[in-house]
Amino acid sequence: MIYGDKKTGVIVTGATGKQGAFHIPLMNEYARSVGGRGIVAGVTPGKGGKEVDGVPVYNSIREALREHDATASVLFVPAGGAMDSIMEAANAGLELVVAITEHIPVHDTMKAISFATLNGCAVIGPNCPGLLSPGEVKMGIMPSGLFSRGNIGVISRSGTLTYEIVDELTRAGLGQSTVVGIGGDPVIGQTFVDVLERFEQDPMTKAVVIVGEVGGNLEEEGAASTDLPIAAYIAGVSAPPEKRMGHAGAIIEGGEGDARSKIERLKKRGVPVATRPSEIPRLIKELI
Amino acid sequence: MKFLEYEAKRIFSEYGIPVPKNVLIRSPEELAGKMESLGPGFVLKAQVDVGGRGKAGGILMADQANGIATAKELFGKTIKGLPVREILAEERLPIQQEYYLSVAVDRSTKEALVLFADAGGVDIESLAKNSPDAVRRVSIPLLMHDLPPFMIRDLLGKAPKEIGPVINMLYRVFSEKDAILAEINPLVTTPSGVFAADAKLIVDDNALGRQGITANRDLSEREREAEQHGFSYVELGGSIGVIGNGAGLTMATLDLIEFYGGQAANFLDVGGGAEQERVMRAVKLVAGVPTVKVIVVNLLGGITRCDEVARGIIQADVKQPVIVRLAGTNEQEGRRLLDGKGYRMLDTMDQVVKAAVEAVK
Repeated sequence: MIYGDKKTGVIVTGATGKQGAFHIPLMNEYARSVGGRGIVAGVTPGKGGKEVDGVPVYNSIREALREHDATASVLFVPAGGAMDSIMEAANAGLELVVAITEHIPVHDTMKAISFATLNGCAVIGPNCPGLLSPGEVKMGIMPSGLFSRGNIGVISRSGTLTYEIVDELTRAGLGQSTVVGIGGDPVIGQTFVDVLERFEQDPMTKAVVIVGEVGGNLEEEGAASTDLPIAAYIAGVSAPPEKRMGHAGAIIEGGEGDARSKIERLKKRGVPVATRPSEIPRLIKELI
Repeated sequence: MKFLEYEAKRIFSEYGIPVPKNVLIRSPEELAGKMESLGPGFVLKAQVDVGGRGKAGGILMADQANGIATAKELFGKTIKGLPVREILAEERLPIQQEYYLSVAVDRSTKEALVLFADAGGVDIESLAKNSPDAVRRVSIPLLMHDLPPFMIRDLLGKAPKEIGPVINMLYRVFSEKDAILAEINPLVTTPSGVFAADAKLIVDDNALGRQGITANRDLSEREREAEQHGFSYVELGGSIGVIGNGAGLTMATLDLIEFYGGQAANFLDVGGGAEQERVMRAVKLVAGVPTVKVIVVNLLGGITRCDEVARGIIQADVKQPVIVRLAGTNEQEGRRLLDGKGYRMLDTMDQVVKAAVEAVK
């Protein structure tokens, strides 16, 4: 368990919105099935005093923390308010924010992550499905039925592709320690490097699947940073060149953000790369 | 969204960055009466959104005598397939030295990356590779309003100090306009000061709304239609239509089509939680692409419910065969709805993709 466990108290920001109200019961259902604490409070400014699925809603995170013991929050607020909510959570002293929200302007993401980092708060996402440690805790929107408990870590930039890989692992008898969807936006909080660092400290995790895609070089940075056995799948081999960020962007990415060259560089590091998701279980079995 | 040079220059100059004297014209005749303000010699630059515009003949030198004839020539051209509809006529500067300056999003540090190079108008990637010392960089958190002086000193090296203020001005453009790239290449020094000889500005698509920009010009007709329905959509030209949920899964489906030797017609991500109506529109949109012979629907239900997807497919009622893989939330109900109605249903993405590739062979 790398970001939380049964004992983790979780606050949902944007609790009364459509997504929040839909996922609070699902997360609580999971918490009950594993004997965890689940969602202890909700926050929606102006909606304090309401309840969602029996969870009390407050106007601010500070207000919620006066009544409840929590260290993490899951965010369902719309894109326009996401930066504010991340900063609020970090400022109130939470250790973790899982930002599910998509379409957040990248400048807001950068500011929110800088601010959270200054406050010692880790941000997962945005634009991500969250995280699930089978048998312990679910903070996000992942369909828990596909998961099984075990010792394979999964880190992924894509939501549904995560489920696809988890499904393959489970059907091959390979349970997961923790599955983290880090998000598909150009700028994200916790990267492969950060999550791998936590997996290294986690006695449960024996090997890690990294699921990446075209753009950036976060996958290589991750692979270079760890001694854990890793297998990878990179989506986007057939994708046409992305809308380029121009010269400066190409410099950041070393001009090599495309999937094929990324796969080549991972292979050079000795990381086995699957050509399709269904190959992942075999590659993992060869590693452990 | 990418701005054209003249739009970027207009914004840069609002922030105090000096740009050459210029006029925008939409016909050769418009140049008459305006040339005098530009001086004896000037430059005509086609306002088309392509890289390597100069090499493709999109930039011409002119003077008072041949200005209108040269503009006529340039309006008659197509630059890398794009017709020239607007031309920026600009004074010719007495350039002493060229530099490179840009501010971009840095994925690794999650901050703004400011790049400065002692050579401008060049291929910055190869410059960085061949003489790394010529390209200097600093990272700055967007929480900062300006670059601290030490960062500016680090960037400039031996370059003239008068460039310093321009660095802060460009950083403010980047920061206030929600840019993912703001670039001046070349930034030139002349006897009368520093100028942005060219200008590039790309604004984050997720921030167009709050920047007061209503339409994303970078999209094609069908992509714009798709965007109105909330789909991510890219046309690719092959014969297999692809609908998936989630960018990664949809992209992986395309990769698998290539792996099995087929060609995808498009990429369509219906997004999370798609309901009947949206799925129906997605299927119809893809079926409307003339090259599409078969459609693959690869859906892994999390938020998305398989029964809604099945209803949408049935409602679309398209003439091409639809091969379906449904898994996850409400899977059984989805399968029951589609059963016996002529849709092929398979269990894994490997199977649906293989079947689609065989169907078009």
